[in-house]
Amino acid sequence: MPGPIGPDGVRAVAEAALDLPDADDVEVLFMHEWGGLTRFANSSIHQSTWREDTGVRVRVIAGGRVGVAASNDFSVEGARRAAASALEIASVTVPDPLFPGLAPRSDVAEKPDSFDQDTASTSPEQRAEGVATLVGQLGKGFRAAGAFDAGAVEVAVANSEGQFCYAPITQSTLTTVVSGVDGGAGTAEAAATRASEIDPEAIGQRAFQKARDSQEPQDLEPGSYEVVLEPLAVSTLVGFLAWMGFSGRAIDEGRSPFSGKAGRTVAGENIDIYDDALSPLTLGLPFDFEGTPKRRVDLIERGVFRTGVHDRRSAKLAGTESTGHALPPPNPEGAFPLNLFLGTGDATVDDMIAATGRGLLVTRFHYSNVVHPIETTITGMTRDGTWLIEGGKIKHPVKNLRFTQSILEALSNVEMIGRESEVASEFFFAASRVPAVKISRFNFSGKSDH
Amino acid sequence: VLDTARFAVDSARKAGADYADARFVAEESESLTAKNQQMEGIDRSLSKGVGVRVLVAGYWGFAATARTEDAEIERTASLAVSIARAAARLPMEPVRLAEVEPVKSRWATLVQEDPFAVPLDEKVALLMEASRRMQGVKGLAFAEASLDFYRRNTFFASSEGAAIEQTVINSGAGLEATAIENGEVQRRSFPNSFRGHLRSAGYEHIRTIPLTEEAERTAQEAVDLLTAKECPTEVTTVVLSSNQVILQVHESIGHPLELDRVLKMEEAYAGTSFVGLEDRGRLRYGSDLVTITADATLPGGLGTFGFDDEGVPAQRTVLIEDGVFRNFISSRETAPVVGESSSGGMRADGWQNLPLIRMTNISLEPRAGTLAEIIGDTKDGIFMDTNQSWSIDDKRVNFQFGCELAWRIKDGKLTELYKNPNYTGITTEFWGSCDAVGGSEEWTVWGTPNCGKGQPGQVARVGHGAAPARFRNVRVGVR
Repeated sequence: MPGPIGPDGVRAVAEAALDLPDADDVEVLFMHEWGGLTRFANSSIHQSTWREDTGVRVRVIAGGRVGVAASNDFSVEGARRAAASALEIASVTVPDPLFPGLAPRSDVAEKPDSFDQDTASTSPEQRAEGVATLVGQLGKGFRAAGAFDAGAVEVAVANSEGQFCYAPITQSTLTTVVSGVDGGAGTAEAAATRASEIDPEAIGQRAFQKARDSQEPQDLEPGSYEVVLEPLAVSTLVGFLAWMGFSGRAIDEGRSPFSGKAGRTVAGENIDIYDDALSPLTLGLPFDFEGTPKRRVDLIERGVFRTGVHDRRSAKLAGTESTGHALPPPNPEGAFPLNLFLGTGDATVDDMIAATGRGLLVTRFHYSNVVHPIETTITGMTRDGTWLIEGGKIKHPVKNLRFTQSILEALSNVEMIGRESEVASEFFFAASRVPAVKISRFNFSGKSDH
Repeated sequence: VLDTARFAVDSARKAGADYADARFVAEESESLTAKNQQMEGIDRSLSKGVGVRVLVAGYWGFAATARTEDAEIERTASLAVSIARAAARLPMEPVRLAEVEPVKSRWATLVQEDPFAVPLDEKVALLMEASRRMQGVKGLAFAEASLDFYRRNTFFASSEGAAIEQTVINSGAGLEATAIENGEVQRRSFPNSFRGHLRSAGYEHIRTIPLTEEAERTAQEAVDLLTAKECPTEVTTVVLSSNQVILQVHESIGHPLELDRVLKMEEAYAGTSFVGLEDRGRLRYGSDLVTITADATLPGGLGTFGFDDEGVPAQRTVLIEDGVFRNFISSRETAPVVGESSSGGMRADGWQNLPLIRMTNISLEPRAGTLAEIIGDTKDGIFMDTNQSWSIDDKRVNFQFGCELAWRIKDGKLTELYKNPNYTGITTEFWGSCDAVGGSEEWTVWGTPNCGKGQPGQVARVGHGAAPARFRNVRVGVR
C-alpha cells in the first residue's frame, strides 16, 4: 500500500515548477489520492476498485496574464512541463485586470486527527467484511446495494509568494439502499475520518427497517403537504441553495438569489446556515485551493442573509478579503462553500411526526435540479422511504412523489429543527452537516408509480 | 505502451487471475472560456495511467495506478486479484463473459485538423470575437464563448489475446448569453447548452459552427426573455427542438435500457429501470413513429469509437422499433443474461475507473418533415427549445425537464415568447403521444458531454441523433 508523499517530498517537486524563468508568479496545487471502494448490489460485491493518482496543477502569471495547466505526472520533469505549458497559455491570453495576486505567506491552522493510517490502508478484505456485516442485517427477501470506500488524500499549495500549506486527510463512507420485493426501499449512510467509526451493522439495520416499513407503498395525490425532512433530504435543499447562491462572485454579478440582499430577511428567524471547514464535526481542509486559510463564514444568521464566500478574485471585486473558499483554478464560477452547516434546534424526528396533522416523512430526494435559480426553486423526487403522517402518527408508506419547491420559501416555513445533525458527504473535502426539519408547507407537483 | 498493458495482463495472470484485461490510457484535454472579452480560463490537462481488471473464480477486481514502472504495475495487478478474492466474501452467481473474438487492431477518429495543433491565439481570437459581438447587444450582462477538446489514447490488452490501440478525439464549441434585470436571470445558448456542440471530430468541426455569426441573435434572445411572459400552466401539444429531444432520449430511453440498471447493479446510486427482462418484444414504449438505435459507428457521434473498453467492436443495435422495445444496451457480463452477445457499450472514464455500460450514440431515427412543417401542422401548442434543467425518478418513469425558451404555436405559427418553460410526464405515456418526428434534413447528431454514472462517479461523453418531434397532451408550466 502506498503512503503519503509528505510535505518535504511535495515541496521538492513544487519548487521545480516555482523556479520558472519569464514568470512573475507561480502557484502549484498538488494532490495525491489513494484508496479502495467496495461496491455491492443484489447483496453481492460486484464492482470493487482501488486507485492511486497524483495531480499537479500549475498557475502561472506573466505580465498580468494567467495560464493554468495540469498533469498527473508528479515528478520534477512533470511539474516543469506543466509550468511551461501554463506559461505558454499565459502568453496568448489577455491581461486580467482583476487578478488579485497569489495568496500571501500566512499560517494555516492545523486540523488535528484528520489523517488515520488505518483508514488510508484499509484492505479489500476489511471492506468486504463490513459489507457482509451490513447485508447480514437484512430480513428474508430484501437485498442491499451500496458502496463502502476508504481512502486518503494529500493536498498542498505552494506559491512564489512563499506560501506553503499541506494537509493529509482520510475519509470513509458507507452508503446503502435496501429494497424489498413489494416495492419499497430504505437508505442509510455514514461518513467519517476513520473507517473504524463506520458502523455497518447500524447502517444495515437502519436501512433495512426503513425498507421493511416501506413495503407496499400506496398512491398519494400530489399537493401541498406538511413535511418532516430527514437530514439527507435537508442536505439537498442546503446544497442547492449553496450552488445557486453563496458564491461571492455570483452575488456580485447579480445572478444569485442573494444579490442585493445583504442584511435582509430571506428565511425564518430559526434558520442559521454557515460554512466551517475547521469544525471537528465535518470533513474538510484547513485551507483552500489558492492556499488561503479557511475561516467560518455565517451565510444566513437568524434568517438574515449576511454574506457569500470569496476566493481572492471575487474578494477583490467586492472590496473584501478572501474567506478561503477558492476552488482549483481556473474557475469561472468563483468560490464555493464545501462545509455547510444548518444550525440545530431542540426537537427529535418523533416530536416532528407527533406535531404533524397530515403530512409526509421524507428520507431523501433524488436527481434534483434547478427550476428557477433566483426563486431558489428546484424539482426532484422522493426516494428510499416516504410515509404519510396523519394525526401525529405514521399511517403508511407512499409511492414516490415529485416536488417543485422554492428552498427559501421552505426555509421560511420551518416549524421545528432537529437537535441531532448528520454529515452527508458526496466527495472529499465536501460535507454538509444538517439536522431534520419540519416544514409547514411543501409543494409536491407530481407522482411516480413506485 | 501496448506492451505496458500486456505486462499488466501477464502480471495479473501470474497473480492468479482467470481472466485479465488492462488499459493504458493517456488523456489530454484543452478547455477555453471567454467571458465579456476576458479569458476566464484556458485549462490544459494530461492524465495517464493503467487500470487492471480481473476475474478470479467469477468475481471482479479492479485496481489502477498513475505510476507505470514495472514494479508498480505488478503490485497493482496483484492488488486487483486480492480485491476479486475479497469479493467472494458474499457469494453470487459467478460472472460469465459473453464470447468475443480477440482482436488485434488500431482505430482512430477521422480528423482533418488536429485540434491540439491549432494555435491557441487563433482559438482565443475566435472566442473574443464571439464574446464581443454578444456584448454589442444592449442589456446583456454576460457573454461567454467556449471551446473544448479531448484526445484519449487507449491501449487495451486482454488475456484472451486482444491488443487494440485506439485514439478518440472530441471537439466542441458554444455560446452562452446571460441577461439579468429586476431579479430575473435568463440564459440563451448556441448551438446547444452545456458547452455547445461536441462531436467526435477535429477542429474542422469548430469551423462549421457559426459562433460569431449567431452571437448577436443568441444574445438578443436572452435579453428578450427578460420581458417575456412566464410559460403558462396547462396541458397542451408540445413541439421540441432536436437538442431537447436528445435530452428526452438520453434520460427516458437511454438510461432505462442500460442492462446493468435493469439488473439492479446501479440500484444504490443512479437507480434501476422500469423496464424488465421480460419486456423485450412486448413493451409498447412509444408510438409507431418511435424507433431508437444505439450506434457506436455513427460518423461524428460523441459516442463513436472502434472498440469498447472490453475490446468489443462498435456496432449498431435497434433498441426500440416502431414503438416496441427490442434490445438493451449491454456488456460481456450482462448480455448472457438475455442470451445475447455484448452490444459493445462498456466504457470507462479514464484509466482509473472500471468500465460500465454507457450509452454510445442513442438516436431517435428520422421520419419526415421539417420543424417549420411540424409547427405549421400544429393548431395550438408550445414549442420548447434547448435544455436547461432535467430531473427524473430512480426508475426513469416520472420526469420534469426545463428549456431555455418557448413559443406559443397558434394556427401553425409562432406567436408569443415564453420564459422559464418546463414540462413533465410519464415516460411511456409521453413517448406514446409522439405523433410527429422530423426528417433527415433536420436530424442532428448532438453530444452530451456530462453523463454521470457509477461509484466512484464517472463522466461519459455520449452522442444522440434527433430531429424535432411533437407530443400531445403534455403538462407544461409546472410550478
